[in-house]
Amino acid sequence: MASLTIKNAVKRYGSVEVLKGVDIDLQDGEFLVLLGASGCGKSTLLNMIAGLETVTEGEIMIGDRLINDVHPKDRDIAMVFQSYALYPNMTVGRNISFGLEMRGVPKAEREVAVLEVAKMLQMDHLLDRKPSQLSGGQRQRVAMGRALVRRPEVFLFDEPLSNLDAKLRLEMRTEIKRLHKRLNATMVYVTHDQIEALTLADRIAILKDGEVQQLASPAEIYDQPVNMFVAGLVGSPPMNFISSTVTRTDTGYGAEISVRANGGDQPVLLDLSDHPTDLSGHVGREIVVGLRPEAITQSGHSTGNTTQSFASDIDVTEATGADTLCVLNWNGKEVMARVSSGYAQIIEGTMEFAVDMSRASLFDPETEMRLG
Amino acid sequence: MSEQTTFVPAQTRSAVWMRLLLWAVLIVFAIWFLLPAYVVVGTSLKELEEIRGGSLLSLPHELNFWAWKHAWSEACIGVTCNGLEPYFWNSVKMAIPAVTLSTLLGALTGYALTKWQFKGANMVFALILFGCFVPFQVVILPMAQTLGIIGITNTVYGLILVHSVYGLAFTTLFFRNYYVTIPDELVRAATIDGAGFFTIFRRIILPLSPPIIVVSVIWQFTQIWNDFLFGASFTTGGAQPIMVAMNNLVNTTTGVKQYNVDMAAALITAAPTIFVYIVAGRYFVRGLTAGSVKG
Repeated sequence: MASLTIKNAVKRYGSVEVLKGVDIDLQDGEFLVLLGASGCGKSTLLNMIAGLETVTEGEIMIGDRLINDVHPKDRDIAMVFQSYALYPNMTVGRNISFGLEMRGVPKAEREVAVLEVAKMLQMDHLLDRKPSQLSGGQRQRVAMGRALVRRPEVFLFDEPLSNLDAKLRLEMRTEIKRLHKRLNATMVYVTHDQIEALTLADRIAILKDGEVQQLASPAEIYDQPVNMFVAGLVGSPPMNFISSTVTRTDTGYGAEISVRANGGDQPVLLDLSDHPTDLSGHVGREIVVGLRPEAITQSGHSTGNTTQSFASDIDVTEATGADTLCVLNWNGKEVMARVSSGYAQIIEGTMEFAVDMSRASLFDPETEMRLG
Repeated sequence: MSEQTTFVPAQTRSAVWMRLLLWAVLIVFAIWFLLPAYVVVGTSLKELEEIRGGSLLSLPHELNFWAWKHAWSEACIGVTCNGLEPYFWNSVKMAIPAVTLSTLLGALTGYALTKWQFKGANMVFALILFGCFVPFQVVILPMAQTLGIIGITNTVYGLILVHSVYGLAFTTLFFRNYYVTIPDELVRAATIDGAGFFTIFRRIILPLSPPIIVVSVIWQFTQIWNDFLFGASFTTGGAQPIMVAMNNLVNTTTGVKQYNVDMAAALITAAPTIFVYIVAGRYFVRGLTAGSVKG
């Protein structure tokens, strides 16, 4: 096992800059998820680590070995592809052992290794089948087995679950997590699914236009997004953005918004007195208040001491089982609130909501960056 | 219910008429196309008197294989009277290596063009594709000079080289279009597994290629076996392929024109390509369409 260091990695295709200097430092045994929309450069970065793409500028190191110009097979990495990329003409057993065979491992040793991995992934009964005779989930397992059998320093996953149906995806997600715990290996995982990222990662690197927006633990990314892009990308439903202006109040600061309640727009002052951010320099200036749906909930539910309550009309409700999403109308825009399912019977009408302002994220509307 | 019973037969009746019309047209055209083949086979089995006396379309009185035997081993081609046999083997010796070589090289080129995309790969492909449209006649003179310089004029090897080079444009096109449909991730996975350019080709790409290999082999075999121009241009006498020899056989007349021998010679000459089509024909269509359909 080894650490992975990416220093100022740049990738250019002609004049197009796909990666604009990425710095990531990965501890031995850490699970990093590269999260971003398609075209953000996350797969390019993964391919650069794998050696399938050249590094235009910068350094990539596994342990303390610079691998910029090392052939993929000598990098001590293994990769799981989105399409699994199983060799259709070979049996499952041959698929798994191919990498060992190419490295000149004797046949007897190969067989032992294949059997061990097959048992670990509970597919020892499938070894003589061809990939075309397997289900999607089984193919996924073979692809994992092919990576596992070589015991590489670093595992690379390129959206390995996106071809599976929802139920299988959950199963395999847990399996990957379990595998990581068991092997304690360094893993880099590319996905565009923010839930996958939040559940799997030790740290998430969010990419946009070839730049890392934020590199932090899932909790930090979720609770303290550095900008509005990250805040909008992570979380489902996404964070509510409410535009307002900072005003000075008796106790500190506030932000006034208009809330649709009892059929009319009522002014409400969101209390920012206890918010950790120093707002003295922002009085009179516009800000964006970011509130996650769960920070707006039924009154009496929240325990935060910065909770304030006010009435709001419910436009629509969406039951998700565990809790119910209510669509409210603040500042003339839709705002999502999450209430516990006991309140699911409320379809329309006015209800008292509690807002936990200590969990609010404040952004500058121009730079879209987090304040404080 | 009653509405249905009156409606359905009416539709069936017109459908039956349409069917009958369709069959009639198909049968007429089938006869139209089969007639020449019938005449050729029928004539080759007749004696000369029978040909002169009877109708072109009448069945032979008895199955007489004299003309076939004569065409194969006795007919005069130019001044030698050994039949088509030596030329037949010339063609075999030319076609098999040329087909193998052009197919293999086409596969390798197609693989390199699709799975190891280098700068200008598409340009190279466009240029190779251009080769498909160069008429045979254009290359005769430079090719003759080349063969002369190498020193393999008037040999089977010369023809093997000519056909391999000329066939490369087509085989590359076939394999390139087939390999485009094979996911690149396979090659990436194999690269990480430690396989190199040729190992990936041999262990992963070639085992996936049988459908397109069949297409390439049929196409190339037909082209090379049926070629007249290169054979006539670059060889003389005993080194000629069967296609040229057959032409000479038909043109060599000593007194009476032996139509039955000419027909038998034509059938012998065409037999290998017909054989290849019958054996591998159904894979041919499948292989041609395999490229366009994913998976």
